[in-house]
Amino acid sequence: MVLNNKRFLSVILILGILLVSRGAFAAHVLKFATLAPAGSTWMNLLEDWATEVEQRSEGRLHFKFYPGGIQGDEPDVLKKIRFNQLQGAAFSGHGIGQIYSPARVMELPYLFNSFAETDFVREKLMPEFEQGFHDNQFELLGWMEIGFVHIFSKEPVRTLDDMKSRRVWLWQGDPMGKAFFKASKIQPVPLSIIDVYTSLSTGLIDTVYSTPLASIAMQWFTKVKYMNDTPLTNAMGGLVVSRRFFDRLPADLQTLLRETGKATGKRLVSATREDNQKSRDELRKRGITFIASDEGISTEKLIAIRDIAASELMAQNYIPEQLIERTKTLLHDYRNPHTATNN
Amino acid sequence: MTLLKPLTTSLSIQLLLLGITLLSGCSMGKIVARSSTSILDGGVDAMNRETDLLLAEQAIPANIKLMEGLITEDPDNQDLRVYTAQAFYGYAYGFVELADSERAKALYQRGFDHAGKALQRWHITDELLQGDPDKLHQAVSKLNKSAVPALFWAASNWAKRIDLDRTNPTSIAELASTEILMRQVLKLQPDYYYGGASLFYGVYYGSRAPMFGGDFTRADANFSAARKVSNNRLLLIDVLQAEYLERQRFDQAKFHQLLTEVANTPQGHFPEMALANQIARARARYLLIKEEEWF
Repeated sequence: MVLNNKRFLSVILILGILLVSRGAFAAHVLKFATLAPAGSTWMNLLEDWATEVEQRSEGRLHFKFYPGGIQGDEPDVLKKIRFNQLQGAAFSGHGIGQIYSPARVMELPYLFNSFAETDFVREKLMPEFEQGFHDNQFELLGWMEIGFVHIFSKEPVRTLDDMKSRRVWLWQGDPMGKAFFKASKIQPVPLSIIDVYTSLSTGLIDTVYSTPLASIAMQWFTKVKYMNDTPLTNAMGGLVVSRRFFDRLPADLQTLLRETGKATGKRLVSATREDNQKSRDELRKRGITFIASDEGISTEKLIAIRDIAASELMAQNYIPEQLIERTKTLLHDYRNPHTATNN
Repeated sequence: MTLLKPLTTSLSIQLLLLGITLLSGCSMGKIVARSSTSILDGGVDAMNRETDLLLAEQAIPANIKLMEGLITEDPDNQDLRVYTAQAFYGYAYGFVELADSERAKALYQRGFDHAGKALQRWHITDELLQGDPDKLHQAVSKLNKSAVPALFWAASNWAKRIDLDRTNPTSIAELASTEILMRQVLKLQPDYYYGGASLFYGVYYGSRAPMFGGDFTRADANFSAARKVSNNRLLLIDVLQAEYLERQRFDQAKFHQLLTEVANTPQGHFPEMALANQIARARARYLLIKEEEWF
């Protein structure tokens, strides 16, 4: 296709007609925000979701996306959903913690060792999570995953003691991170995620936590030299809509949104795992030194830290004790199928 | 007699060229390629002044193939490599990207490959470009002004290729390296290509949320710096500010204002860059259609 005047105008006309016909006459418009940049794997999958919903609803339900953090960070987006300026979003655990914090049991530090463990436990707990979102004025349409979170640093961090002498970032206002650092006896530097890149440049902080993919997406990897290969946690995310929006949909569109949201979540989890693996290779290629797990602290010590952090979160009622115990039991069952209880 | 004289002259030139070839070990093709650079200067200037988009769209591919043919004869000719990189960028941005992003991605890659080859003269190897950003920075920071065109067109093509390949973690990781090349351009020759380095930084800081390294204040400052260099005559600056910064900043009024002004700017106020301004007008009209979808 060319961009000469005549043909360009035709393209404009056709695009104009398409746009008008796609959005303007939809009975329901779902304004949906995400931090995923336009053109990224995540955004492409979300757009596939929108296309499927629009087609199957015969144009009655239309998505309008705001990618790349255009609508602000997660607390901003949550506020806008509560004011009905937006109706849905893809949130990480940070945002989900402000909707239904018990779901973050899936992010307890040093709990899961593999994707298979995560998948097994999440599947069992999902009805409880869905109910929790519902009771808090949201619907959880799909589960996402950000991936295994690692420590990235300018100086080698082999043990938690090494971190005590470093300037370690804490995502401001995140009870999960705060509990972990308290249990580890580390004094972090609380900062908004927006300030991390600059603060790594100025030296205000020299140690951060992130997934391999996110460290590339946010360009943090250019400011650090090491990645500790022991994962802290498997960070999660979710596709959510407000109940104010969802409850007004006809039953068939509710079913459609649930069904397609769940499938989209699965595709997002799979794509994220693949991209995180590719990102690990890329980080190596670009000069990041990986510190092997066996150079770090003992499993017993990690478990002790996890349990202290869990007690802290229980004390704040951020995650109920009963849910933590149930999660541990499910995990035990998965690891020891021959002695499994009937959960 | 009148016919004989040109023939004699032509023969003399050929003999002279043959002599030079034998003496220097240079091939005839290489000599032709080297002597063509001044003609290409004029060609680039003429293309920049073109006001007919269709004519430009049809002419640029032929010029690219001519230049690639000359490069085959003289692969180490940096000037030819840079011209070709520039031509790939202009063609992909002006005529391909909006219609076929996959094809545009491949064209930007070819542009980057040519500029990358030019950079090898200064020992900026593929390995350096694809490796540790710190090592790349060390090497690039030693370069002088003569490397600016190669650095600029390498970074420009590379960044656009990445922009169209955001599903690939490898590409996203490369973004930091493009900035290292452009940082040196800004340091050595900030007015190169009408303040192109500032324009790059306007997009670099304006196209991402602050949590991803974006910085709207710095983006604004860089767009302003680019305007100053071109005396506010290059319409592409307003288009890029609207497309990247105002979209990311979610400022619909400014987005609309910038693009409407570009679309309504009459021809002829910057004849040296008439083609770029025509492309900017076309892109502004396309982006105005996206306004409803984006805001």
